[in-house]
Amino acid sequence: MSNVIEQIEQQIAKLSTKAVKKNTGHIRTVADGVAKVDGLSDVMYNEMVQFPGGIIGIALNLEQDEVGCVILGDVSNLKEGDEVTTTGKLLSVPVGRALLGRVVDALGNPIDGKGPVAATETYPVEKIAPGVMARKSVNQPLFTGIMAIDSMIPIGRGQRELIIGDRGTGKTTICLDTIINQARINKVGIASGDKNFRPVYSIYVAIGQKQSNVVRTISALEAADALQFTIVVAATAGDNPANQYIAPFSGAALGEWFMENGMDALIVYDDLSKHAVAYRQISLILKRPSGREAYPGDVFYLHSRLLERSARLEGKGSLTALPVIETQAGDVSAYIPTNVISITDGQIFLETDLFNQGIRPAVSVGLSVSRVGSSAQIKVTKQVGGKLKGELAQFRELAAFAQFGSDLDAKTKATLDRGARIVELFKQPQLNPLAIEVQASILWTLQKGYFDSIEVKNIVGASISLREYLITRKDALLATIRAKAALAPEIETDLKAAADEWKSGFVAK
Amino acid sequence: MAADKKTKLLARQLFKLSFANGQISADQVSGVLGWVNKNSPRQPLSLLKIYQRLVATELARSQAVVAHAGPLGAGVIAQIEKAMTTKYGRPVTATAAPDSSLLAGIRVRVGDDVYESSAASQLASLSV
Repeated sequence: MSNVIEQIEQQIAKLSTKAVKKNTGHIRTVADGVAKVDGLSDVMYNEMVQFPGGIIGIALNLEQDEVGCVILGDVSNLKEGDEVTTTGKLLSVPVGRALLGRVVDALGNPIDGKGPVAATETYPVEKIAPGVMARKSVNQPLFTGIMAIDSMIPIGRGQRELIIGDRGTGKTTICLDTIINQARINKVGIASGDKNFRPVYSIYVAIGQKQSNVVRTISALEAADALQFTIVVAATAGDNPANQYIAPFSGAALGEWFMENGMDALIVYDDLSKHAVAYRQISLILKRPSGREAYPGDVFYLHSRLLERSARLEGKGSLTALPVIETQAGDVSAYIPTNVISITDGQIFLETDLFNQGIRPAVSVGLSVSRVGSSAQIKVTKQVGGKLKGELAQFRELAAFAQFGSDLDAKTKATLDRGARIVELFKQPQLNPLAIEVQASILWTLQKGYFDSIEVKNIVGASISLREYLITRKDALLATIRAKAALAPEIETDLKAAADEWKSGFVAK
Repeated sequence: MAADKKTKLLARQLFKLSFANGQISADQVSGVLGWVNKNSPRQPLSLLKIYQRLVATELARSQAVVAHAGPLGAGVIAQIEKAMTTKYGRPVTATAAPDSSLLAGIRVRVGDDVYESSAASQLASLSV
């Protein structure tokens, strides 16, 4: 009991008896998640303001007679006349390793029922992006584990690569595969004891999604044992538009902590189309002038200032961004998609037609690009995957002639055969990322013609068979490829021996 | 009905006309109200509400409301008045307002600024 008394006495002693100055106002109207406040004469733009009941808002409209504040919380208990106080602070979120494995809301409050987050630092949600001189060029790979992407549209650490496509084309799946692959690589790297190994921590920001989708995502990450390296920031469709607006910036703050402390992080914004819609709603309620498609005039700046915070820093770490945009009927020339395409360092375009044909991931190789390119590829991938894009481009051009079958010349037929096999080989089940050494081995086998004698309809089965063979019987060879990251002559000799052994035992089902 | 832009502009113009020697003047305010009565401008209710808010905000800037829980010592009001006049660089009149919800200490409000030194606010900050 004396300890309890001591605790209370210590708390009382900490209280300051000085007068505290606050700047206040009163709510004039509150509707649709926005409060119009009288007073607040000293408030600054983007300042955090305090409503009764511990509810937080941000001052976004500083007008002559009133201040428009978006409310980040439950508005049902607020009413006209309630006092609002400035805090003198920008909105901040808790950051640090303590958030790994947790699911938090847009303000960093845990929503997974696992207790409070033991974070010791906070970072501001809105922050100016690093300057030009603070950056370093992107030349370290970030492996997604998806063969079609790692070989032809490689992503580097610090890059922003847009994932764009219609609904149901596999955008979120690509993001989850990437996160799961980082977790897999992290576990292997940490277990190896390599001091130079740099793990990649992931942040998944769910904006405006159904809660059932978020639950499914978390379950998939848990099942793959990837959640321990991941932070999930959830601002679902039922949350205030203000929370949905803030969530990506909160996620960026979480990622910046890793970047500023010499670590590498990956952030997925799923998706920025819903983010733009939430911002449009807030802007319209704040009576800001609307422009094209009723979006406010600064919707480009909304995304550019978010994505510019992803970078590779000199002497520090990196933050790679995978923003997701949903198109309507494949229209990549719409307003928000073109905005984000112009901001990012490349895009992965997913097509509904390819998806429906069974080509999954439904990556359109022709429209997809990585502006970082082979700078972000290790040597082995360049060696085996360098020609793939060209071969597929030729295949697409000649695909219309495939129906003529035996009337084609040998070269055209060879191009069509090779292209069809590449397309089959790139099919990959979801939530099943491949290690880069396995990808390189499979592509080497393709380039050396081991798949030429296998019928196109059996290529998928052959690829699975080869994959299982390599993982179960040639683990040492894979480890060598992983360590050396290049195909030396002796490695090629071992690969040939392995491929011959596999091919001799392979029977198409 | 929300006031339109013209009504808001008129209210601000009338507010500017309510000053004499840098302060809100009762005579000027009477004159403004008389003009409104005589000329029946558009949206009179909205106009008067905006005008009232502007005048009230301006008046609050020159008034220090000293909320206190227990008895105030002699001269405290005068001291606060002098301190606030110096701080804000304009005449500030202090008035006492008993408020037992503070439990102890005082709270001084001048316009939008609140100087809090009450037991209730200290307890509230403990609970956060």
